[in-house]
Order: sequence, then structure tokens, then C-alpha cells
Amino acid sequence: MNRIASRRSLMLGVALASVSFLSVAAASAGELTVWCWDPNFNIAAMTDATARYTASHPDTTFAVNNVTQDEINQKLQTQLLAGVSDGLPDIVLIQDDNIQRFLQSFPGAFVPLSDSVDMTKFAAYKVAAATYEGKSYSLPFDSGVTGLFYRSDYLEAAGYKPADVQDITWDRLIEIGKDVLAKTGHQLIDMDYNDDGQIIMMMQSTGQWYLKPGNEPNIIDNAALKESLEVFQKMAQGGLIKPVSDWTGYTGGFTSGEVAMVPQGVWITGTIKSATDQSGKWRVAPLPKLNDVEGATHYSNNGGSSWYVLSSSKNQEEAVDFLKTIWAEDVDFYQGILVNQGAVGSLLAAREGAAYKASDPFFNDEPVWQNFSDWLAQVPAVDYGTFTPEARLAVRAQLPNIANGGSIDDALKAIDAQLRQQMQ
Amino acid sequence: MNMALLRRSATYVLLSLAAFISVFPFIWMALGATNKSNDIVTGRLSLGSNLLVNFQNLLAQVDLVRVFGNSFLIAIISTLLTLAVSSLAGYGFEIFRSRVRERVFQLLLLFLSIPFAALMVPLFVLISRAQLNNTFIAVILPTIASIFIIFYFRQATKAFPGDLRDAARVDGLKEWQIFLFVYLPTMRSTYAAATIIVFMGAWNNYLWPLIVLQTPENKTITLVISALTAAYTPDYGVILLATVLATLPTLIIFFVLQRQFVQGMLGAVK
Repeated sequence: MNRIASRRSLMLGVALASVSFLSVAAASAGELTVWCWDPNFNIAAMTDATARYTASHPDTTFAVNNVTQDEINQKLQTQLLAGVSDGLPDIVLIQDDNIQRFLQSFPGAFVPLSDSVDMTKFAAYKVAAATYEGKSYSLPFDSGVTGLFYRSDYLEAAGYKPADVQDITWDRLIEIGKDVLAKTGHQLIDMDYNDDGQIIMMMQSTGQWYLKPGNEPNIIDNAALKESLEVFQKMAQGGLIKPVSDWTGYTGGFTSGEVAMVPQGVWITGTIKSATDQSGKWRVAPLPKLNDVEGATHYSNNGGSSWYVLSSSKNQEEAVDFLKTIWAEDVDFYQGILVNQGAVGSLLAAREGAAYKASDPFFNDEPVWQNFSDWLAQVPAVDYGTFTPEARLAVRAQLPNIANGGSIDDALKAIDAQLRQQMQ
Repeated sequence: MNMALLRRSATYVLLSLAAFISVFPFIWMALGATNKSNDIVTGRLSLGSNLLVNFQNLLAQVDLVRVFGNSFLIAIISTLLTLAVSSLAGYGFEIFRSRVRERVFQLLLLFLSIPFAALMVPLFVLISRAQLNNTFIAVILPTIASIFIIFYFRQATKAFPGDLRDAARVDGLKEWQIFLFVYLPTMRSTYAAATIIVFMGAWNNYLWPLIVLQTPENKTITLVISALTAAYTPDYGVILLATVLATLPTLIIFFVLQRQFVQGMLGAVK
């Protein structure tokens, strides 16, 4: 009996020893952990911000971890659902169209930053994306403010000047596109029919979204969506779109010099500029606008994310102070991340800095950043609600059909039906 | 005669085609690891000269020794424990008679159909309550009793001759000795096949390690590759190189145990 007992305690000892051998000590007190993705973009920008903060607050240290968007969603979802805050970070980056889901499903999980930060300093549509029941939870970061990037040399070869694509409608762009295709052989844009990015850019420029506030589908009577799909169909039927099958193919379409234009969020700038041999051949115009829709503008957004402080953070005050001091006030910081990462933040005052005022030789010495900053302030706000991912899937399912000339009214009905089914 | 020749060559053409289709992604991956990201995107399919640069870039981003060390530690311990526990269970299910044996076994098979995602949240609560969050034990523990491997060993044990066991008994061996000295050597090829299956599963495991491993120094190679792909402008050369490196261990294990693997699939005892 004694022998068995001692053997048991020995085994327990071995087990415990291996536990402590395999486990790694938790983060030390006073260290702020940040989860975000992309070493060349978000992580680099955040690391820069932390260095600036520690310069004046030497007691605070940071650990910026590389965690992908999918991983952040998966881990937050699991842990918040399980009610276990162990190992969650202090600050986390979340995609704008995904945050309402978290805010509404897990009330109290995030710190309302509007209590301590003046949100009017930021682009209004970014703040609106993370506002729930009167409080704003985000420290708005990168903007997906859109522009029409175009190859001025191809346009010139077809007899067009930059002024000809300034402040135009999509219908006019289609005419120009047909002309450019006929004269130079270059298609207007490339697009993955499995991505509705082009559609949402057109739609949000009018202040409309797939959903109405209160999570009601906004499909059948959505005039902006209907015209966006019509524009898409006209382009596809006119042979102006080079279909690609994924993101790699998409970026390859313009870095290889194949297509003439890229209507996209400002974050694509880095990818466009990666083709250094095309320097001086690109320019940026405001996004074309829709014809017949009330509230149509030249300003829209695609993508973008923001910083959040988790309520479970043991260093909540420090985390909030850090975001406030650097991300909500430091204009110089925004110059650095613009130059180094091509990151356009949402702090409106950033435009007063030197980097924002500089012109870019890659874009024919245009003051592109001042332009984007002008447009940023005018992007119409929309309510992404909690079912945006489902809505986007439903729209994507119909895009190939529409490209092939299918009825748009039928497609809208199918989208509406699929979305309503998913929302039940 | 001619007809037979025709049929034979048609078979070979078809098989070669099938072989090419299955091998092509690997060739593409290996070639991609030597190319620049832009060349890969534009579809270049020849050997490039960027392998060293890709390797340097990978080293700059990833602590390879640590990450591979983590993956190996988890995969090896996982494999050893899973084989020990699950083969014993499979053996027991087949050899020892009991009234509830089939019921319990059917219940186990039923559990196989529950997707892991459904078990994840309760399992996570369990692991956190046990203070095992962010440890390798948390990754290894839930995999040890593998229903599939129990099932696999039970099926293989059906071919294990009862005579052999009886003879061992007559010779005075105890039950654990029979398992260790008679069963285990006889079923070598079954163990080899199970090793490959379990090691591959542990090595490639993604979702669960993602949830329980929280600090960067504990990350496994699958998590690191996933992080590499998350950049807005991913460096495909680096990603493919990391994928090649991550594929090597399972590949090596497969080739070392290849003969036994095929035998194990056919049945260990002739």
C-alpha cells in the first residue's frame, strides 16, 4: 500500500515537473501585449508607435505579436465564448466590418474609448463603424479610402488627358475604357468574381450598405446596389474586366502592366509602387460616382481596421493612455508610418505633417496624400451590422452570373433570399 | 497481343497523368521556394536564384530552430503517447471479451462524427481550469486517445492469431508481457503506418494549437506559416520555402517507413 502510494506521488511529481518544464511564464506585469497581423504594415506601424511611447514612458514595455486576422477572430470568439481571458492581449486589431459582431455578441468585452478620446479628431465613417449604443470602442487606424489609380500613359495613348477621368461617372469611365481597349489593347480593370470589393466601393460611396441599421437586409430596394451591379455587368459584358481567380492574380494584373486602372482602397498603393519600373506612369483620380442614385459621391472605402482595448486587460489604463498619446495625438508618428509603411491613418490632423504634403514622383508628382486625406473626411458612414460577412457571401455567389449577362433583379432576389436564410 | 499492348500503354499514360497531377503541386512548391515573389505571381515555373535571399528573409522573420523544436517536441511526444495508449486500447477491445464491449466501441465510433469545432470551447474551458493554457501539454493531451487509431489497431488486431497468444500463455507470459513481447513485434508494420498517420496529424495540427498556444515562443510551424500568409503583400518565395521545410519531416518519416506503411495498410499478419 505504502509502495503504491509513493509510486503515485512520484508519478504526480513527474507530471507536475513536466508541466512546469513545458509551460512558459506568463507576461510580466506592466507589459502590454498587442495582437495584429502583417509585419510590413500593421506590426511595423505598431512597433513604431510603441517605441515612441516607451521613449517618454520607460516603465511600459510592449510585446507586439504577429497574429493573423482569422486567428484573432477565432481566438477572441473562442475565449470570449468560454469566458476565459487568460492569455488574451491588452490591445487587439480588428477589421472594421467585423467589429459589430463582437461588440453586440460580447457586451462589455471591450473598453469604450470614446470615454477618454475625442472621436471627432478621426474620420467620421471610421468612428461610426465601431459605435454601438452611443459609445465608440475603436481607436481608428488604417483607412481604406478609395481612389481610381490609373496608367496615364495608356490613357494618353488612347487620346485622353488626366482631366478626362477627373470627377466622372462610372458610365463615362466605361466609355473611356472601351476606347482604351480598342486603341491600346489594355482592359480597364481586373477583378476576382469571388470578391465583391468593387461592388461595395460603389455602394458605400452613396452611404448605402447591404444591411440597414438594425440588421435588416437592404438588397431588393437598394438603388445603389442595383446600379453598382449594373455598372459591373456593363463592364464585364463590354470585355473591360480581366477576370482573375485570386488575390495573387489580381495584383499581378496591374503590377505586370496588363490592365489600365485600379479602383481600390489607398492601401493598394504599396503594391502598385512595388512595380518600380512603372514609376511616373501612374496617377490617382477620385473614384467615379454612380449616375442615378441620391447621395452619390466620389468617396468610398474598402477594408481597414482599428485598435481595441480588451476589458480583461490588467493594464487597461496604460493601454488607453498609449493609444491616446500616440495614435490620437502624435501627428509626426503618422508621417513616419505613411512614408515607411504607406499607411494612411484616420487621424484628420495627420494631413498637416510634411509627409502628407509631399508629392510623389511615382504618381507624376501629384500630392496624392493630400488628395486621399481630403477624400477621407468625406467618406459616407455606413452601419456594417453583424451580418456583413453573410451578405458579402450572398453577393459573391451571384457575381459570375451577373457578369455573364444574367438578370440583375433575379440576382437581387436570390441575394436577399440567401441572406435572410443565413440570418435566421 | 496488340490489343494488350494498347491497353497496357493506355494504363501507363493514365497513371503517369495521375502521378503528374499529384506531384505537380510539390514541384511547384519546391521551384517557388527558389524564386522571387513577383516571378511566382507571374507564373514562372523554372529554377530561380532567389533561394538564399528567401532563406535569409525567412530567418529574419522566424526563429526557425525554436519553431521547429516546438513542432518536433509536440509531434514526437504526441506520437509516442498516442501509439502507446491507442494501440493498447485497440488490442484490449479485440482481445478481451466483455458484454458491453461492442456498445462502448460503437459509442466511440459515434464520437468520431462530432466535429472538433463543437468540442473546442468546452475543451478550452477545461484546459484553462487545469491551468494548462499556453503549454505543450494542452496541445498533446487531447490527441492521445485517438478514436481513429484505436479503431485502426482493433481492425489490425483481428488478424493477430489467437494461437500465438495461447502459446505465449502456455509458456507462462503475463498479459502485459504478451502485449509487449509478442503482439508489439508482430504488429511492427501496423505501428509504422500508425506512426506516419499520427505524426502527420500532430505536425500539421492547426486549429487547436492556434487556440491554446498564446505566446510567440510557443508557436508551431503551421501557425508560423499561416502568419506569413497574412501580410497584405505576402512574400510567396518565403512562404513556399517555409512550406517546403515544413513538409520535409513528414516526407522523411514516410520514406523511412514506406515499406512498413504499405504492409501495414495491407494487414500486418500474413
